[in-house]
Amino acid sequence: MSSLLQVDAISKRFGGVQAVSNVSFDVGQNEIYSLIGPNGAGKTTCFNLISGIFPLSEGRITFDGQDLGRVKTHQLAKLGIGRTFQNLAVFKHATVVQNILVGRHSHMETDLFSCLFFAPNARRHEKAHRHKVEEIIEFLEIEDIRMQPVGTLSYGLQKRVELGRALATEPKLLLLDEMVSGMNAEETEDIARFILDIKDELGISVLMVEHDMGIVMDISDRVCVLNFGEKIASGTPEEISKNTAVIEAYLGHSGGG
Amino acid sequence: MRSGHFIESYDKLVNLTDNPVKMAWSWILVLVLALAPLVLDSFWTSICATVLITAIGIIGLNLLVGTTGQISLGHSGFLAVGAYATAILTMDYQVPGIIAILLSGFIAAFFGLIVGIPSLRLKGLYLAITTMAFAIIINHVILNAEDITRGSEGFIIDPLQVFGFSFESDASIYYLSLIILVLTVLGALNLMRSHIGRAWVGIRDHDIAAKVMGINLTTYKLLAFMVSAFFAGIAGSILAFQLQYINVDNFSLLLGIEALSMIIVGGLGSISGSIVGVIFIIFLNELVRITTGIFADDGGTMSLYIHEMKGLLYGVVIVLFLRFEPDGIMGKWRDIKNYWSNWPFHH
Ligand SMILES: Nc1ncnc2c1ncn2[C@@H]1O[C@H](COP(=O)(O)OP(=O)(O)O)[C@@H](O)[C@H]1O
Ligand SMILES: [Mg+2]
Repeated sequence: MSSLLQVDAISKRFGGVQAVSNVSFDVGQNEIYSLIGPNGAGKTTCFNLISGIFPLSEGRITFDGQDLGRVKTHQLAKLGIGRTFQNLAVFKHATVVQNILVGRHSHMETDLFSCLFFAPNARRHEKAHRHKVEEIIEFLEIEDIRMQPVGTLSYGLQKRVELGRALATEPKLLLLDEMVSGMNAEETEDIARFILDIKDELGISVLMVEHDMGIVMDISDRVCVLNFGEKIASGTPEEISKNTAVIEAYLGHSGGG
Repeated sequence: MRSGHFIESYDKLVNLTDNPVKMAWSWILVLVLALAPLVLDSFWTSICATVLITAIGIIGLNLLVGTTGQISLGHSGFLAVGAYATAILTMDYQVPGIIAILLSGFIAAFFGLIVGIPSLRLKGLYLAITTMAFAIIINHVILNAEDITRGSEGFIIDPLQVFGFSFESDASIYYLSLIILVLTVLGALNLMRSHIGRAWVGIRDHDIAAKVMGINLTTYKLLAFMVSAFFAGIAGSILAFQLQYINVDNFSLLLGIEALSMIIVGGLGSISGSIVGVIFIIFLNELVRITTGIFADDGGTMSLYIHEMKGLLYGVVIVLFLRFEPDGIMGKWRDIKNYWSNWPFHH
């Protein structure tokens, strides 16, 4: 399996805190890869490094054969990396359709003056993107709420809209940061089903950070475990569930507080 | 699991409004505005023209502050740039008036670009102070670059001439402003239904998420400053033609505060709210002027306090609206409409 994303010995320091140290892993084509670990293990920081929100202290990240070192965050959508955030990051005053349309941004080419006069090409593009957005809305089964401001929706639905917005970028790789925390069992099951469909039907690779061990063990192809910024294990879900270092890390944390 | 809401035509969705009632009311409003000067006297026509001109600039300000979330206290500066650009272009360089209006917009947009650069690093209060500094600098330049701006003496401007027609009467300025306002509203609505408007809303609501969605913050923030300043510059240009005499007092810092109070009263990020806010504040101003006129038995001294009173008034209006009606009059209007359209099944 050729890898889509290669994370090569990356490290990140925040002042005195070594948030990520010497972590390597790779995500293959059409794979669901989970990043797990106790709170503060450095999972979100890994995501922020991949999406260029912070510069790397050390290491190298390659996506689709391209070094991401000099790539700016706003160029990632075009390259094919979509992402959701651990804390809600929706545009809460805009409607569901408008939120997902923002995900189409990197595919929009209409210039300022065509937009100002809503010239025929602006109208044509707008319609084409609306079509794409409706496909996503249908895929995520959120037809009923499409015209509602996202801020008025339940937490679970807001997360679903955020997922739709990330899908609208037409990514090759989707980074999902704790999609299901704060969701009930039914919502979690829906998301698990969507993630499997994203992989199988849309052919998108998924790199997800997740605390819910149920969903991680059920749908991941491979898992990587971080603890205090370091990688302590990686492998298939079965291998991970038997790994003594992993069990210790989790027990140690829950015992400590 | 289909819910029956499948959409067959996207044409309808990308139209300005798919609601025929709203469309009808908009046309009626434009018609009423077009007929207004026939029944109004010259004094009220001139005040209404001021409302229209101000609305052009305020829509621009609202695109920046309400839609993109970038505060500006310096819009009196862009207004001044537009007005002085028109004065200099038409009086000293004999540029035809209608071209001068457009050029003034572009010159203001250029200043918008420069003022926008700090917004790439600064937010909130720091940006507010920086933009205010711009307005102060513009005032200093007007006063000190006497060779170009006539300094404290002020600048006399000939009426706008288009194909031999001279825009001298209050009604002619009114119609000019009305046409440009309608164009401004359409332009702003078009931007709002395109990816540019959505990018601005994205930057306001969550800038990091906006970046991850592929929005270049540098480009779109600067674009917001430029578009916003463009409209303010156009407003300044028409203002120059309306007043036919401008000096530094027309562009005091208080104007920037007054402008903010207009968008807060009307509704942040709302185009119709911008217009409602302008009407509210300008008529409030008139009310203050008339009532202080009544109480001022000795005539002169009271007018000295009007400036201070206005400042106080804007402050009070801003605080009251932010406290009790943060979505402005248009927000309230939406609530009322929702209430009655769901009546009696509201919760
Ligand atoms: N922007 C930041 N500035 C300073 N420290 C940070 C920042 N982001 C994360 N950290 C620190 O890095 C460590 C890892 O955090 P994080 O990646 O959020 O963990 P996780 O997502 O695994 O719970 C924590 O100690 C956290 O306090
Ligand atoms: Mg995290």
